[in-house]
Amino acid sequence: MPISVAHLTHVYNKGLAYETSAVKDVSFEIADGEFVCIVGHTGSGKSTLVQHLNGLLKPTSGTVSVGGVDVTAKSTSVIEVRKKIGMVFQYPEHQLFEETVFKDIAFGPSNLGLPEEEQAERVREAMALVSLPFDAFAERSPFELSGGQKRRAAIAGVLAMRPEVLILDEPTAGLDPKSHDDVLALVTGIREKTGCTIVLVSHNMEDVARLADRVFVMSGGEIVKAGTPEEVFLDGAFLEGIGLALPQARAFAEKLSQNGAAIEAGRVLTREALVDAVAGLGARR
Amino acid sequence: MVERGSFTSVIGRNGSGKSTLAKNINALLLPTGGTVVVGGYDTRREETIWEIRRMAGMVFQNPDNQLVSAVVEDDVAFGPENLGLPREEIRARVQSSLAAVDMLEQRKMAPHLLSGGQKQRIAIAGVVAMKPDLVILDEPTAMLDPEGRGEVLAIAKQLHREGITILLITHFMEETVDSDRVVIMDEGRIVLDGTPEEVYGRADEIRAYGLRLPFAVEVADELRARGVAVRAGVLREEELLEEVLRLCPSR
Amino acid sequence: MIRDITIGQYYPGYSLVHRLDTRLKIILTFGYMVSIFLAADFLAYLLVFIGLAVVIAKSQVPLRFILRGLRPIFIIIAFTFVLNLFMTQGEVLVTLGPLHITQAGLYNACYMALRIIFLIIGCSLLTFTTKPVKLTDGIEALLKPFVRFGVPAHELAMMMTIALRFIPTLLEETDKIMKAQQARGADFETGSIFRRAKNMVPIFIPLIVGAFRMAADLAMAMEARCYRGGEGRTKMHEFRFGRKDTAAAAVFVVYLLLIVAERAVHAQAWLLATL
Repeated sequence: MPISVAHLTHVYNKGLAYETSAVKDVSFEIADGEFVCIVGHTGSGKSTLVQHLNGLLKPTSGTVSVGGVDVTAKSTSVIEVRKKIGMVFQYPEHQLFEETVFKDIAFGPSNLGLPEEEQAERVREAMALVSLPFDAFAERSPFELSGGQKRRAAIAGVLAMRPEVLILDEPTAGLDPKSHDDVLALVTGIREKTGCTIVLVSHNMEDVARLADRVFVMSGGEIVKAGTPEEVFLDGAFLEGIGLALPQARAFAEKLSQNGAAIEAGRVLTREALVDAVAGLGARR
Repeated sequence: MVERGSFTSVIGRNGSGKSTLAKNINALLLPTGGTVVVGGYDTRREETIWEIRRMAGMVFQNPDNQLVSAVVEDDVAFGPENLGLPREEIRARVQSSLAAVDMLEQRKMAPHLLSGGQKQRIAIAGVVAMKPDLVILDEPTAMLDPEGRGEVLAIAKQLHREGITILLITHFMEETVDSDRVVIMDEGRIVLDGTPEEVYGRADEIRAYGLRLPFAVEVADELRARGVAVRAGVLREEELLEEVLRLCPSR
Repeated sequence: MIRDITIGQYYPGYSLVHRLDTRLKIILTFGYMVSIFLAADFLAYLLVFIGLAVVIAKSQVPLRFILRGLRPIFIIIAFTFVLNLFMTQGEVLVTLGPLHITQAGLYNACYMALRIIFLIIGCSLLTFTTKPVKLTDGIEALLKPFVRFGVPAHELAMMMTIALRFIPTLLEETDKIMKAQQARGADFETGSIFRRAKNMVPIFIPLIVGAFRMAADLAMAMEARCYRGGEGRTKMHEFRFGRKDTAAAAVFVVYLLLIVAERAVHAQAWLLATL
C-alpha cells in the first residue's frame, strides 16, 4: 500500500516557551511493497514521524495519505487507518495484558469487530508468522514466556490486524544476537508471505544495509538524505557529522582502499560482500 | 576467580545465567550451593554484606529504573549518603564522580530529560562515588543506541585504567575485545574461559551458543574459509586491516 | 493535556522567594492557609490579596503561568460559586425562573470562590518556587522531631523522592502503552462510561506490570548502593536559615497580626450590630 507524506510538520508544546518541532516539513513517497528503513540519531524525529503514518499523532501541518486515503482528514475513520497500518513499538512486549497469548493476539481483531471464528483464524495465522507453535503457546499466559517469545507474541498481536503496511520502531532493541536475527528473519518472512510494505526504524546499519530497498536519514526533524543503501552510505563523513556510522563492512572497505588496496569500497555494504571483495583481491593463500 | 585490577567480560544469551552470577557477587542474591568470596569476605556473612556492596558497585541494564532522585547530583549523592559520610566529603565525591563521567554540566538536570547513555553515565557516577574496588556492569549497553553504547564502554575502560576491577556483562561482542579475559556462559554454566584470543579462536563453538563473533574475528574466519591465509588471533579491526594489507598486493 | 497542569510544577528561578529556606516556606504556606480561614470579610481579603500580590511579584513567576494553574480546577470554582449563589437564603436580588439570587448568596459565592482561588495560588507558589527535591527534604526536616512519636519522616520523604523521580517516566510509559493499544484498534474515546472504563484494562494491566518491574529493579539498585533505611544516613544538602529568612518571617508575622486584628474588629462590629 503506497504512502505519501507532504510537508509534514509536528510541533510539540505549541505556543509554550519550550515548544520544539520534532518533524519539520518532511515529504516523501513509499511505494507499495517497498522496504524502507529510517535511520537517525536519538531525538532526530524518527519515532514522531512514523507515529503520523497511522494517525497516532496529528500533524501540526501537512498531510499523510495511505493508499490514497488522507489519514489526517477528520472524515477518515481511525479504525480503518489502523487496520491497514500495523505498528510495532519499541519493547512491544510491554503492551501485553491478556490472560492468554491467544486472547492477547485476538485483541486487535476483536477491536475490528470480527466474528470469533475469524479472530481465531487470524490468531493462528499470526502465530504461524512469528513461529510460535499454536498448540504449545495459545493458552499460556504471555507473562510467563521468555523475553524473545514475549516479543514475538506482541508482534503477532499487530500482525493479526492483517496490516498492509507494517511499521516497526527498533523491534530488536535489548535482544541478544540470536533473538535479534530471529526477529529480523521474521520481518523478512512476513514481507515475503504477505507482500506488505515495511517501514523499519533502526540504529543498526548492518541490518539497514542488508534489508532496505530505500533508506531515509533523519537529522534535526528533517529527512536529510534518502536513497538506496548504496547511495545513502556513499558519504561516510556526512553521516558521521550527524552522529551516525557506516556499516562496519563499508567503513572497513574504505580504510582498505585508503591504504592502497584495490578495492571498490562503494560496492561493499555487507560482511559477505567485504569477504568476497577481499578474497577477490588475489590475496596470498 | 576474578583478579584485582582486571577487565573481565562475561557473555551469554539472555537467560544464560550471567546476571544471576553478577548479583551473587555483591550479595543481592546468595548462592544456594558453593561460596562467593569478595575481597576476603564471604557474601553469606551478614555483618560484612554492606562492605561487600560498597566494594562491588553495580550498574544495571535499564537506565530508567536505577536512578533514585529527580536531580542528577542528588542521585549521585545517594550512595555516599547511605554510607553516612560527612557532608563535605559527599560534595567532593559527587563533584569528582560527575567529572569522571563528564556529566558535571548536567548536575542540576532531571534524569528523564537525559539520553539513555547519559542516564547510564549517571548510574556509573553513583557507583564511582562509593569508591568501589570492583564495578559490575550488568548489560549496561543493552538498551542504548550506538552512541550511548560507545560512551558507556569508554567510561568502563577509563575506570579500568584508574585501577578499578571491571566485570562487564554483555552480549555485544565488540565490547569485549579489549578485555583481559572473556567468559562465555550458556545455560547457567561457564563453557569457555580465557583471553579473547583463546576464546574467539573457537568460532564454531561460540556460534553454536547463539552468539556472534566480533566483526574482525568473523571476517578473518570467513577469509580463512575462502583460503586467505589470515593469521590466527586477529581480534580488532586495525589488526585485520594490517593483515589484509600484508596479504594483498597493493595497486 | 497533562502538560497543561501547572499545579505542583516548579518554575525555575533565582528570586528571593526561590531562595528562602524551604522549611520556612512550608511553615509560612500553612500560616497563610490559616490566615485565609481567619479572614472574615472582604477587607481581610484585600489584605490577603496584597500579601499574595507581593509574594507573586517577588517570586518573579509570570502571572500567566500562575493563572494557568487555576484552569484544571475551574469547574470546582464555578460549581462552588453557582451553588452558593442560588442556595443561600435572604433578600432576593434577581429571580430566574424557580431560582433566586439573594444578596447574601452573591456575597457568599464571591467569598467562597475567592477563598479557593487564594488557597490554590498560595499553595502553588510554594511548589512554583521550590524544587520538588528540596520540598521533600524540607518536609523530612520538619517531621524529624516527630520521629520519636512514630512518624516515619525518612520513609515518607524517600517515597516522595521516588514518586517525583518516576512520575515523568510512568507518564511516558502510559503514553507509549496507550499508543500501542490504539495501534491495535483500541478505542478510549467513545462509548458509555462503563465501556470506556472497561477499555482502560489494556492500559492499566501493562502499566501496573511495568510499575512493578520498575519497583523491583529500583529496589535492587538501591540495595546495591547500600541503602538500608534512614538510620546512619547523612545528607548532602543542608538548610541555612539566613537573614532574608528572618526578614520574611517577620513580615509574615505582621501580616498575620493584621488579619487577626481585622477579624477582631469585624467581630466587635458584628457584636455591636446584633446588640
